[in-house]
Amino acid sequence: MMRTVEILLVIIIITGAFVIASFFAVLPSPRQVSPTNLERLALTTLQELDVSHHLSGTVFKASNDSSWTDLQVALSASLPPNMVYNLTVYEISPGSAQLYQTIHSISNAESLGVSTGSSSYFVASSNVTFSFTPEKVGEHGGGGTLYILNCSDTNGWWITGYTTPKLAEDLYGLLSPYFQTTVMVQNTTQFEQILNGTTISSSPSENVSNAVVVNTCGEAVPVPSGYYATIGSQNSYAKYCYVLGERVREYNWTFASIVGYPLYYVTNTGLFPSSQNTWGVYGMQLVGAAGLNSFLQGLDNQTYVYNNNWITAELAGSVYLSSEAIYYCNYYGIYPSYYQTASRALPSSITSTYNLNVSNYIFNPSGGYLAGAVYTHTPSGAFLAFGLTRTPDIRLTAIGLLDYYRPRLYRSEYTSTGTSKLVILQLGQMGGA
Amino acid sequence: MPEATIDHMVALTVFLAALLLFITLFNQTIQTAVLYQQHRYVASKCTDMLDNIMLNPGYPTYWGTSNATPSSFGLQDPEFTQYKLSPFSLMRLRSLNGDPVYYPKTGMTYSNITMGFGDSLLVPYSQAINYSAASKLLGTNNSFGFQLTITPIVTVTISEYQSSSPLIVTISVAGKGFPLSNSNISYCFLTVDLSGGSFPSYATSYGTAYTDEQGFAFLSFPQVQDDETCYALIVYSHLSGLIGIGYHQRVSSDKQYIIPFIDNFESGRVLLAHSYDIHDFGPPNADLKYNATFVLLTQDFTLREMPMENSTGMVNYGEMYSYEVVTIPTTNPGILVITYRKSAVEGGIILMPWGISSMAFSIVFGDSTAGREWIATDIRQVIVNDVAYQAKLALWSLQGYKVTG
Repeated sequence: MMRTVEILLVIIIITGAFVIASFFAVLPSPRQVSPTNLERLALTTLQELDVSHHLSGTVFKASNDSSWTDLQVALSASLPPNMVYNLTVYEISPGSAQLYQTIHSISNAESLGVSTGSSSYFVASSNVTFSFTPEKVGEHGGGGTLYILNCSDTNGWWITGYTTPKLAEDLYGLLSPYFQTTVMVQNTTQFEQILNGTTISSSPSENVSNAVVVNTCGEAVPVPSGYYATIGSQNSYAKYCYVLGERVREYNWTFASIVGYPLYYVTNTGLFPSSQNTWGVYGMQLVGAAGLNSFLQGLDNQTYVYNNNWITAELAGSVYLSSEAIYYCNYYGIYPSYYQTASRALPSSITSTYNLNVSNYIFNPSGGYLAGAVYTHTPSGAFLAFGLTRTPDIRLTAIGLLDYYRPRLYRSEYTSTGTSKLVILQLGQMGGA
Repeated sequence: MPEATIDHMVALTVFLAALLLFITLFNQTIQTAVLYQQHRYVASKCTDMLDNIMLNPGYPTYWGTSNATPSSFGLQDPEFTQYKLSPFSLMRLRSLNGDPVYYPKTGMTYSNITMGFGDSLLVPYSQAINYSAASKLLGTNNSFGFQLTITPIVTVTISEYQSSSPLIVTISVAGKGFPLSNSNISYCFLTVDLSGGSFPSYATSYGTAYTDEQGFAFLSFPQVQDDETCYALIVYSHLSGLIGIGYHQRVSSDKQYIIPFIDNFESGRVLLAHSYDIHDFGPPNADLKYNATFVLLTQDFTLREMPMENSTGMVNYGEMYSYEVVTIPTTNPGILVITYRKSAVEGGIILMPWGISSMAFSIVFGDSTAGREWIATDIRQVIVNDVAYQAKLALWSLQGYKVTG
């Protein structure tokens, strides 16, 4: 009998253990197992209400403004019916004892229940202007001069719809804040001067060495009178391109070709007044594919050999901006179309032929061809080429150069009182377990 | 001695029975706890996966506007941050709802999102991203099933209050939980002229209005004096950042009409087919003359027409006739509007969104939730080209919940 009694005692003990274990091991309610992420829902709701800066506009208005009613209607409409909310706007007062002071609150319930989630969102007044100070290319030594070839005695090709001065003007607006000195090269005589290593402006910070030279004439390149041998000889024009490549290496320039086949023509309306490029544009002479080949030979300090072999390719479909270029589009706030057509894409094989490195892919490579990239030569010289189809988007050139030099933007500090507010949206769920 | 033996036997029997009972009871508690943990894991996976889809554009970044097959799946608009989705990436998802459409002249099957007569989006299976591919790219293949639902937050419902002399329509604007009172309404009204000319012409008029406290508005169109006038009404409603879109058409030829099929996302190529090639409603049949245009929503909530090449033409049915082609001239979202004419008194108007948000189409992508054991869900408010949407992800485990112990 004792054994039975003992067993009953054991059963009582185990039962007690089970009851105690069950008491403490309380399983959560189904809502807690798979809760709606109220914090995320609140944040995305605030972002949604601010999509066109309506929220930012409303929180800076007086409490009796009708915009608050609209905001409440929009908030109620955007949340699921079982959701209760409290939206509170705080004034930020850095100088006072209380950093955040409530200025307005809207809610659709007296209580949000036990389980709530909230998110905060900073908004700035639309009356505030943000400013930034760009870092200048070359401000830490070396170069910093941007030359834009805006020669009045030249013509452009494959810039249909634009003129060289217009492109030069746009480029000036886009890039001059980022360079120590920006010089518009007004004619081929001035171009000859910088080819000879002479400065052309009165600016003390102009420096021919380590400069950037942008050719806004498209497929044509300005040729000064002293830089060609025989009129009508493609070989002589190719030699000029060779010399140009040499100068890029000697002065450590970054030379930019904005569209099409680089250096396909030479242009000088004074020298070739009656010559046209077979398409009716006068002041031009054909160099052909030899122009680019010669330029690259000069850049690589190779012996000049006349080579008129066509090396670019027409890519099927579109080419797309690289993720790096897109990042810098956002960073600098320059937004060209993210896809283009490229009918003069350079082969990546030129990197091995001419000892170049691709330092920046502006467009993603496609089948061994590069629609837009910066090629650097060791020890000096760089070449930015866009083998895109006309007409050019000069913003791509700006992005290409900014991607290459990456000047930083120092944004202004934003501490003005009354210019920013904190919005907190707290959400709770009604009904259910 | 026998009493002691009996005592032992009874005690042992009772002890074993009690032990068995308690093992079962504890096991049930443990099983419930393990199930809770598994459910909790699925729920947190659901949240993570929803953010992963919403906050990542995929790769290639612009796969939504190209014909490329993504090697990484994400729906974020590559030109923005946060919860802004690409209207074109959404357009390339193969819809779970809607019967697929087979078009014999291309030999292809098309994913079908139809919101009513004349409001459809047909995307070729060959270019649409299917559930299986997305599941593999998300790394959930054979481990989790999911269904993603993207629905507009604001619903704009349009119905005829008076069909003619003049036409009066009722517009109802409501959100998920509340009507949108005092919301601004911008509308574009297109009427089709079936008489005269080689192709049907259309006239557009624009206007604005406000909803009342119940979210209703009435619009009157004196230019519609009879029940036979074909028209389309596109309405944009906006209030404090919330934007909703609604549309309504009236046609006089609903058996023979034009069906637009997307053919190429990158080039914006759209095929125009005669409905008889897809749905055989029986004779009598006729060719259809059409006139296509493309409209964009501008930032001031007005619609702007964009010229299109080859915007007029004729489609016919049968093997002797091919489809017609129009090319959408922009990569911005908008609406392709096609007016068609069967005869001097029969015709209509068809709308197709270019970018899913331009007509506030909703989409259901993924697998069916029917018969699933336990489903975790999570929601986010998202923006698709400024239009407010709600994204809901339902996720379940494909590996079962059997617990041993």
